[in-house]
Amino acid sequence: MAQIAAQRYTGASIRRSEDPRLLTGRGRYVDDIKLPGMLHAAFVRSPLAHARVLSVDVCAARALPGVVAAFTGADLEAMTVPGPDALSTLMGAAGPTPEFTLLATDKVRFAGDPVAVVIAESRYLAEDGCELVEVDYDELPPVASADFALDPGSPPLFANLGDNIARSRSRNEFGDIAATFAGADRVYDFRIDVHRHQNVPMEGRGCVASYDPDLGVLTMHAATQSVHVAKIAVTMRLGMEPDKVRVLAGDIGGSFGLKIGASREELATAAASRALGRPVKWVEDRTENLTASGQAREESFNVRAAVSNDGDLLGLDVTMVIDTGSYPGMGGMVPAIIEAMLPGPYKLAALGFESVGVTTNKAPYVAYRGPWASETFVRERVLDLIAKDLGLDPLEIRLRNAAPRTDPPAVMLTGRPLAGVTTRESLERVAKLADIPAFRRRQAQARAQGRYLGIGVATFIEAAPGPRSPEGASGPMGSESMRLRLDEDGFVVLFTGQMPHGQSHQTTLAQIAADEFGVPFEQVRVVVGDTDVVPFGLTGGSRSATMTGGVTLHGARRLKAKVLDFASHLMEVSAMDLQITDGNVGVRGDPASAVAVSEIARQAASGEFGADVDARLEVEAVFDGGEGGWSGGSHCAVVEVDVETGIVTVERYVAVEDCGVLINPAVVEGQIRGGVAQGIGAVLLERSAYDADGNFQSATFMDYLLPTACDVPRIEIEHLQTVPLDADVNFRGVGEGGMIVAPPTIVNAIEDALSPFGVRIYEQHLPPARILELIATAGSAQPSGSAQPGRSAQPGGR
Amino acid sequence: MYPSRFRYEAPHTVAEAIRLLAAGGDNAKVLAGGQSLVPLMKLRFAAPELVVDINNLPGLSYHRADPDGTLRIGALCRHADLERSALLAGTQPTMAAAAPLIADPIVRNRGTLVGSLCHADPQGDWASVVLSLGGSVVAEGPDGRRSIPMTDFVTGPFQNLLAPDEIAVEAVIPAAQGERRGGYLKLERRVGDFATVGVAVSLETAGEVVRRAGIALTGVGASTIAASAAAAALTGHSLTAESIAAAASAAAEAARPRTDHRGSAEYKRHMVATFVERILTRCSAEPAERAA
Ligand SMILES: Cc1cc2nc3c(=O)[nH]c(=O)nc-3n(C[C@H](O)[C@H](O)[C@H](O)COP(=O)(O)OP(=O)(O)OC[C@H]3O[C@@H](n4cnc5c(N)ncnc54)[C@H](O)[C@@H]3O)c2cc1C
Repeated sequence: MAQIAAQRYTGASIRRSEDPRLLTGRGRYVDDIKLPGMLHAAFVRSPLAHARVLSVDVCAARALPGVVAAFTGADLEAMTVPGPDALSTLMGAAGPTPEFTLLATDKVRFAGDPVAVVIAESRYLAEDGCELVEVDYDELPPVASADFALDPGSPPLFANLGDNIARSRSRNEFGDIAATFAGADRVYDFRIDVHRHQNVPMEGRGCVASYDPDLGVLTMHAATQSVHVAKIAVTMRLGMEPDKVRVLAGDIGGSFGLKIGASREELATAAASRALGRPVKWVEDRTENLTASGQAREESFNVRAAVSNDGDLLGLDVTMVIDTGSYPGMGGMVPAIIEAMLPGPYKLAALGFESVGVTTNKAPYVAYRGPWASETFVRERVLDLIAKDLGLDPLEIRLRNAAPRTDPPAVMLTGRPLAGVTTRESLERVAKLADIPAFRRRQAQARAQGRYLGIGVATFIEAAPGPRSPEGASGPMGSESMRLRLDEDGFVVLFTGQMPHGQSHQTTLAQIAADEFGVPFEQVRVVVGDTDVVPFGLTGGSRSATMTGGVTLHGARRLKAKVLDFASHLMEVSAMDLQITDGNVGVRGDPASAVAVSEIARQAASGEFGADVDARLEVEAVFDGGEGGWSGGSHCAVVEVDVETGIVTVERYVAVEDCGVLINPAVVEGQIRGGVAQGIGAVLLERSAYDADGNFQSATFMDYLLPTACDVPRIEIEHLQTVPLDADVNFRGVGEGGMIVAPPTIVNAIEDALSPFGVRIYEQHLPPARILELIATAGSAQPSGSAQPGRSAQPGGR
Repeated sequence: MYPSRFRYEAPHTVAEAIRLLAAGGDNAKVLAGGQSLVPLMKLRFAAPELVVDINNLPGLSYHRADPDGTLRIGALCRHADLERSALLAGTQPTMAAAAPLIADPIVRNRGTLVGSLCHADPQGDWASVVLSLGGSVVAEGPDGRRSIPMTDFVTGPFQNLLAPDEIAVEAVIPAAQGERRGGYLKLERRVGDFATVGVAVSLETAGEVVRRAGIALTGVGASTIAASAAAAALTGHSLTAESIAAAASAAAEAARPRTDHRGSAEYKRHMVATFVERILTRCSAEPAERAA
């Protein structure tokens, strides 16, 4: 098995090289960019959820001193090329594509929909201008729920769709559904809801677009997860040649899936810059971020579960409805991933999966950390509900159903082999760390004093990147490229398409390259964020640990071979006898022979070599993910519920994770902690609420509550010894797992705390008021499972 | 989130501030801690033409007790001053309980108690505390000073009795007739959240008998609510399970909550009763604070 040349940095919690700069306020975010002559954009937004736009009058705004221009939807339509969502196109989304413009023209489709843009000398003046724009609306009935959207009588948001079905109903079956359900001892029916909540990065969306009329080149400073995807969106929508568009990005203040491609507002800003020949900045404020940037989840699931009396989960038959909001893009892609992931690490015999996506008068659906996370919520919730009904321990039912690790590996019902999955190990370990028997004793004592403690366990796997498929890598996400170069200053320079926004690539990739090439960590430079110099890439889907970690390792190995080849000419020694350690090339066993790599690079650059010598110390590397593999883990939470106020306190949180070989444990743990914090927020605090008329109720941080340090306990983390699958690349992604598994972990713990009341939970958002409602209505609930053949519907309790 | 254009003045005397306000008329606003006014201006819900910053006015950051025990809180006394006050910790249990529950440390470092009273937010915590204590606001205008009881000061949501050319210079809490007991409980979904429900209970007791009681409710009506019937259920009685239960149900009765995303009206009413009961039960178990 090929190893990393040195293990000096890889695997150690090296301090992030990003931190000194970021923590001392020297980061450079989009809003820090100030160009000469730069103008500022502000958007006029619809106050209504659904209305026809009768007229937009920007005359008064244009007349305001300091306002340079004001564009309506019609203006923008004339300045740009119509087309579908760039990301959907890239990912090859199927189904009907609603057609829409950058700014609303004929109608507005959610409260916050941009209708006009005012460009002025300052943001203050631009907002003054917005107040002078007069829009006449003719209100339409709002489509504010998925149920109404499914009603053929609901007014269609998009004329070309004809109805509000954004992703047509489809059904797939794996295994023999009929036989599995007929043969089961029990069949359960549950309806499980996941509420709408959203990415709230510290830095919202934004860009500075700068068009140079002389060169005909548009430079966009973007906050994005991929400069190249942003560039594709700009070239498509502005109708420009790729060589006339350059996208740059600096530091990014978080994203969690929000900043892929370029949003309608960012494209409108770019179009305005081109029209005016001046730089234009737009940085969304918090109200815009909460109202209009995008939201996620809001999915409901009708679940039928076929179960044996012993607690074997034999089959699932699931119908999913996803509310993709207005301007659908990402939402249409989620059901297929949910379907593929639904079996999880369990040995199901049959799965039926039906889904339909609707469009409604709410903010668009965007990717949010683990976009398919609801599959884990549904499965881990269903297992606890069944365990309660059968009187089984939650840990026991999971261990009983988890597929054993066999050779060859068990195959998920939906196709992928469960190679190297350590679900059993993580479950057993987390139970041990949490000391469940000791907790049960404490729980009993507390109950005697009227205090309600609960413990919850949940487990997940994540395809990060997933096991190698028999057909090999495919699609734009299937492989990763990198350019690597040895510079004359002795630095190994990595050019990557990754666009770090909290992932620490500048540190982790440098660790791998330093070890493999043989230079100190400080002698590696990671270049990101410039379409002119970095290869295609996208940071997302927890793919960079394997994909970019792998291409760094293989690329550094090839660069080293090349440097040694060249050095062998220079030093007149066989390359076989040379090595690179600590930044020096030397003959093995002869320290006196050492020559600094910078000296080698300078010699190469001198050009005094014949054509037979390759003095170009640069390589292009591509990596297809190797054997890939799964990430996964099991989490456990201990909560206390105040049954008089409904307040839930998370007392303890333990995570046992397997994300393969760790590049940097501190970075991995940071990813887990951040994800768990978002998961705690999702359950206890965060909700993107709309009223029945489609008015948005969570437009400030007064109403959209994020967890603070007071709400997130110290998170205890242990890493499992991984099962290596690949010859040398066994790093796996860990970006999304925390957010995927924390919600079911917390909800399972809450239900356990409330078990004396007979509470059963079929939803994810549990603010204090809801907890008390659950307690108050629990008495009326009936058992939700039924022995065959008489099957009862789930009472739901709502 | 950028405010409309406004003129900014930062006078150094109260007289000058009043002159500026008089000239500015309805379109002028006093700026104290700015923790309510600035967010409103950024959202353009408020668009004053003139902002009169009173932070340069000398001698208004005090909070002190007169020899007779009357407590005076100056217009520039910050929430944080009250949170850290030994005087309050020793003599004002309701105020001492409320101070650390307001917003977060950053807001408490700038926001003022008097500003909070002027803002008249039905979800503001100080208004019910001061109401329960029978306090008042001292206003200064071109014609001098006048004292306005808290019961009259708030005239509606975000509305107070001040004339456009008046500044609230201090809040006054009268001396206790007996020993003070009390507390403030606030249901917040998360630290720093505005109250879903807040309950202020202030008692003045002689021995076991309640001589004066004040109960006021935050966040369960269009303005702060004085639960007078609940207070009356305690006056002249000692704290027993029966008197506590009577006060709790009378307080719940006085609440006028609305169902919103913080919870149903029923839930909020339930919380009012729970909190009144919790505070009074605690009062009955704990020794009283020294008389103020
Ligand atoms: C994030 C956040 C969370 C918060 N959470 C809470 C909370 O949990 N509980 C709570 O009670 N409050 C909360 N607040 C509000 C905070 O307490 C404010 O400080 C307070 O309401 C206003 O005091 P201020 O000194 O900041 O007043 P300002 O914002 O300066 O003024 C508020 C209003 O009162 C007027 N005004 C102020 N002082 C005077 C004066 N001396 N004379 C005449 N008029 C005056 C102003 O003109 C303005 O109309 C929060 C604020 C923020 C930003």
